[in-house]
Amino acid sequence: MNPRPFTRRGLLATTAAVPVAALTACNGVQGGADAAENDFPTRAVDFTVPFDAGGSSDLLSRAACLAAEEPLGQSIALTNKPGANGAVGLKELLSGDADGYSIALAVKSLFAITPLVVDDPDAVSIDDFRIIATLTNEAYVLVVHADSPYQSLEDLVAAPSLNYGTAGVGTGGQLSLALLFGLAGTEATDVPFDGGAPAVTALLGQEIDAVSGSLAETMPQIEAGALRPLTVFSEERSPFLADVPTAAESGYEVVVDQRRFVVAPGEVSDTVAGALVLAFEQARQDPDYQAFLQDNFMDVWEVEDIEARNHLSEAAQQYAQNVADAGLTLGDGS
Amino acid sequence: MDLSPVLTGFSVAFEPENLLFCLLGVTIGMLIGVLPGLGPAATIAILLPITYNLEPAAAVIMLAGIFYGAQYGGTITSVLLKLPGEASTVVTAIDGHALAKRGEAGSALGVAALASFIGGTASILLLSFIAPALAGVALAFGPAEYTVLALIGIFLVGTLGSGSLVKSAAAAAAGLLLATVGLDPLLGTPRFTFGTDQLADGIDFVIVAMGLFGIGEILYNLEHRDRPQSAVPAFGRAIPSRAQWLRSRLAILRGSAVGFVLGILPGGGATMSSLVAYAVEKRSAKDPSRFGKGAIEGVAGPESANNAAATSSFIPLLTLGIPANATMAVLFGALMLQGITPGPALMTEHPDVFWGVVNSMYLGNLLLLALSIPLIGVFVRMLKIRPGVLAPITIVITMLGVYSIRNNAFDMLLAVALGLVGYAMRKLGFEPGPFVLAFVLGSLLEGSFRRSMRIFGGDVTEFVQRPLSATLVGVLVLTVVVIPVLRAVRARQIDRATEPAES
Repeated sequence: MNPRPFTRRGLLATTAAVPVAALTACNGVQGGADAAENDFPTRAVDFTVPFDAGGSSDLLSRAACLAAEEPLGQSIALTNKPGANGAVGLKELLSGDADGYSIALAVKSLFAITPLVVDDPDAVSIDDFRIIATLTNEAYVLVVHADSPYQSLEDLVAAPSLNYGTAGVGTGGQLSLALLFGLAGTEATDVPFDGGAPAVTALLGQEIDAVSGSLAETMPQIEAGALRPLTVFSEERSPFLADVPTAAESGYEVVVDQRRFVVAPGEVSDTVAGALVLAFEQARQDPDYQAFLQDNFMDVWEVEDIEARNHLSEAAQQYAQNVADAGLTLGDGS
Repeated sequence: MDLSPVLTGFSVAFEPENLLFCLLGVTIGMLIGVLPGLGPAATIAILLPITYNLEPAAAVIMLAGIFYGAQYGGTITSVLLKLPGEASTVVTAIDGHALAKRGEAGSALGVAALASFIGGTASILLLSFIAPALAGVALAFGPAEYTVLALIGIFLVGTLGSGSLVKSAAAAAAGLLLATVGLDPLLGTPRFTFGTDQLADGIDFVIVAMGLFGIGEILYNLEHRDRPQSAVPAFGRAIPSRAQWLRSRLAILRGSAVGFVLGILPGGGATMSSLVAYAVEKRSAKDPSRFGKGAIEGVAGPESANNAAATSSFIPLLTLGIPANATMAVLFGALMLQGITPGPALMTEHPDVFWGVVNSMYLGNLLLLALSIPLIGVFVRMLKIRPGVLAPITIVITMLGVYSIRNNAFDMLLAVALGLVGYAMRKLGFEPGPFVLAFVLGSLLEGSFRRSMRIFGGDVTEFVQRPLSATLVGVLVLTVVVIPVLRAVRARQIDRATEPAES
């Protein structure tokens, strides 16, 4: 990429260190940034996408990194290391150097939903990471086929029996519908597919009655009139589907969303983290990046490290509580 | 049908810049197809950043070229080295490699290139005229239909090769077992993961194919290094002879039709197409015993089928926004990054992209044919390289390819371990083909069957109550029970031979 004057980089890093040091008191205190850290970054930064190429996480990472390269003053090299809803790539990030040259994308579902399904003694914890930048908040939407008799959420939950499709075990879509039908007392069978696209395909073919999926997976079909949205599971109505009520408005307290953010290993120094934070803060203002979010139906989530951390741990507790209250076990088909 | 958008598409495809990207794409595709293990999905992912600044049509023309170019290239290593890089070329390796051993590598590749060209082109023609009408086919296939389809495929695996049926069945069973590794698709319970999340998503097909075919074969050959090498046979000529053409032309036609139809099905269509095409050829041949020993129809049928399927697999992406396979998923991403959402509205909102890409495929296939015929002479010279030199190079490239799937070193260890399994299988006379194909179809079968049962509320009879799946069940019964029994009866009546019933 285009090289930038040496001085500007140094300046960027030092100015960034101040606010960040203040807000991340929970991280290990470093004994003053040395010269090498002040120069950060002097070479390309590796960005791990712990998901397959072509998916939402991958596309978002590409758009965000592209916008962050200029403020960072270095290129960002993207690598896909998929596996276990991101756990493989993030564990590899933690096993590497915490020098800031290795960062990654992370998703909320790995920290909040996966533990409800997979019993992994070595599971990654959000405390192992430093949150560099929060990026998106993506709603799950409940859709039915356009020819379906169900016109509203009330119609759907009153159905005598239902089959619903999800993108797989331990996805937000599965959790949202399991909780909804659990609360409503609807007799509904969960049919997990191998990803969101096969689930939407099965709904288009009317093999199943409903799907809860991300907007990226469902909006093109909603806009084409092939699928009908009944409700969204976000805290507030989605700006992309302003006419569609939230589940809470209909009396079902089910709030499930997906959030994506950039992380570095927890031991990364404040100076280095500051440079990264600043670069991604500027990236979020980039018009091309914002256009990308708009095109891909992603709502912004732009908060600071501590708030993001609280949100993630609260969500994890909330989901676990909800699932326990409803007497559900994700994956048992209830 | 209004032809003006189609013609606009041609003008898009013929723009000098787009022509160049088409050539670039198919050339890269062909090269990575030749390199074992390196697949189009990983390559397109690596090349995504350079498309950011291209026009959408140019970007997709190039990336699509990589995809179908890789189908041409993949045949070359399948035939020459018995190293299929894609599930869809596993079948080609059987008779193609036998032909190469007989000294007919040149004509085997020549026929394959021609079959690929015809299959690909026929498929684009069909796509252009009936794509919108066919979008529904992908939707008519639900979990029940996929279940029966996968079951047919697994039974067809038994007809592959010339080895013993019992050993093929045993290898296929082992493949099915390996397909269960990873998280249970419906319950999320870890199975055979040994507590590591490296195996949580199961094992990628390429790792299995590279281990069993590639590394296993190389180990086996190295064992025989000290033996005097059989003289390298003549390569034959790249242009197929008249006799070969007469023998393959019907196979190519049938293969193209099979490939086009099955390719539309997202998930498993392309693999099934080459398998079905092979089975059709073997069953319709006057002398099925030639198959597995170098029957040219065994190359022509599957090759035209997998190229036709590669083309028709664009249909669900371009008309419904459903990516049919991993490569299509990355192409989907490439379009999204361009601000274009592949879906029902693509054809009307971006006709230049839709028709530009579709029409560029005619050119791409023509370019590939023009590239492959002269290159065949170059590639077959690979057979002249001493195994002591060729083997380590192949291993290095294979490992690179395996690593590139997930950028994960663990996968390389897995490939080596599977290579040892492949070596042992080879020593004991088991063929890797049935193992690998059963592995691919196994996860499709399991997931689809269990989803069907949930949808049906546990009622198995629904499989014969739905028209489409009932038809498929009929096909299954016909091929697995009725035809073999009739054959056995007829054989006895004629009292000609003691031919045992197949499968």
